[in-house]
Amino acid sequence: MATTRTLFDQELAELKSGVVRMGSMVEQAIADSMRALVDRDNALAKMVIARDQDVNELHRQLRERAFMIMATQQPVARDLRLIVSFQHMVLELERMGDHAVGIARAAVRLNDLPQLKPYVDLPKMAELTESQVHEILGAVIEADQDRARAIAERDDEVDVLYHKIWEELVRFMVDDPTNVQRAAILLFLAKDLERIADRVTNIAEDVVFLHTGRIVELS
Amino acid sequence: MQTEVAPPAVPGSNIEIKLDARKVNFFYGDFQALHEASLSVQARKITALIGPSGCGKTTFLRMFNRMYDLVPGTRATGEVLIDGHNVLSPDTDVINLRRQVGMLFQRANPFPKSIFDNVAYGPHMLGWSKQRINEVVEESLKDTGLWNEVKDRLGRSALNLSGGQQQRLCLARALAVKPEVVLMDEPASALDPIATLRIEELMQELKERYTIVIVTHNMQQAARASDFTAFMLMNQKRAGEVIEYGPTDDIFNRPKDSRTEDYITGRFG
Repeated sequence: MATTRTLFDQELAELKSGVVRMGSMVEQAIADSMRALVDRDNALAKMVIARDQDVNELHRQLRERAFMIMATQQPVARDLRLIVSFQHMVLELERMGDHAVGIARAAVRLNDLPQLKPYVDLPKMAELTESQVHEILGAVIEADQDRARAIAERDDEVDVLYHKIWEELVRFMVDDPTNVQRAAILLFLAKDLERIADRVTNIAEDVVFLHTGRIVELS
Repeated sequence: MQTEVAPPAVPGSNIEIKLDARKVNFFYGDFQALHEASLSVQARKITALIGPSGCGKTTFLRMFNRMYDLVPGTRATGEVLIDGHNVLSPDTDVINLRRQVGMLFQRANPFPKSIFDNVAYGPHMLGWSKQRINEVVEESLKDTGLWNEVKDRLGRSALNLSGGQQQRLCLARALAVKPEVVLMDEPASALDPIATLRIEELMQELKERYTIVIVTHNMQQAARASDFTAFMLMNQKRAGEVIEYGPTDDIFNRPKDSRTEDYITGRFG
């Protein structure tokens, strides 16, 4: 059926492309913040912190664009769900960017201190989280709700690792009070990763909403 | 292909169907304008008919009070039940039917008479007493929110009213004969946005007592003003069919048929 809304479709496509671009920036920020920790690279950590301004600016632009489309095109049905979903996704991505900044700040503080222990489970947790972020962006691009649901189910794996790390760090603190500062920073860092994975689940819910019009709870 | 259409029944609920069109076919001479159109309209709800130009919305609307009788060479088959009586049957008292099923048209069409006489016209034709007519004129003008605007100039010409006021006067005229159903054929298409919203507010107030069926090209109006929406489309032979019918929330948020989605999102039509 011939479309009569070429301009509108183009605006939606540009909005989607912006969401994916923002996702890629956040994905990179998460990866770089973890690398800054593992490689003890303060310069990289500071770059992550500085680049968050770009993420925030893109977030502002996308929100503005979504608002303008809603105001001028009066979208309904799938079009409306698309815009509402994108608005929520960019909010989640912006918060993920903030978590990456949290990790980068933690890295800067930790890098000035002796390493508490070799990082084993944290990079594993980060790898899982990064892979979920990457995967959910793929599900957004493909608008694949089955894939989104499958990704959300994998949040448990991140949670299991988080609890393992949490117990281990608490043990470090109990065993030796001089560990408290470093362990506490690492706890916050692990929490940032855990929250990123939660936000992936929120985006998965948006993908399902986009398809079905139903607001679901996947966590 | 036409989907089975009936308002969703809630188990245990007592849904009252006021109008029930069953497999209605309608012909202007050799041209078939409606094909197997079915629609069960709930009492005291607002049902919107939407669809592209020429899809048979107005024709379908006019089946409910046999306005098509005024067009020579027309023919209808199927059933249109009002409270169980088939209005298409030859024994239907068409005058009484049109009292029972009032109509508001696209353009306000007040008679070139006074405001009072416009509203009193139907009751007068029905032979009601002067006192009853006085009461019903005031009541109808109050129902349409016109009373305070015109009570001091009831004897003046209705043609001096604004477009929005004229349309509300026509609605008052329709309500004066105490209909059970009000059909509205794009009642706000000639009005400005404020007058349009006034009509929509009135519809919400009136639906407590009347069953309303509205044809509209304005999808935002259908979305915000109606309880149920039926989407119509021409088939390959250019006869109108009901494609999808359901609660307005579902039609505008989660339409089941891709043709409905394409239409309401403005991708054709």
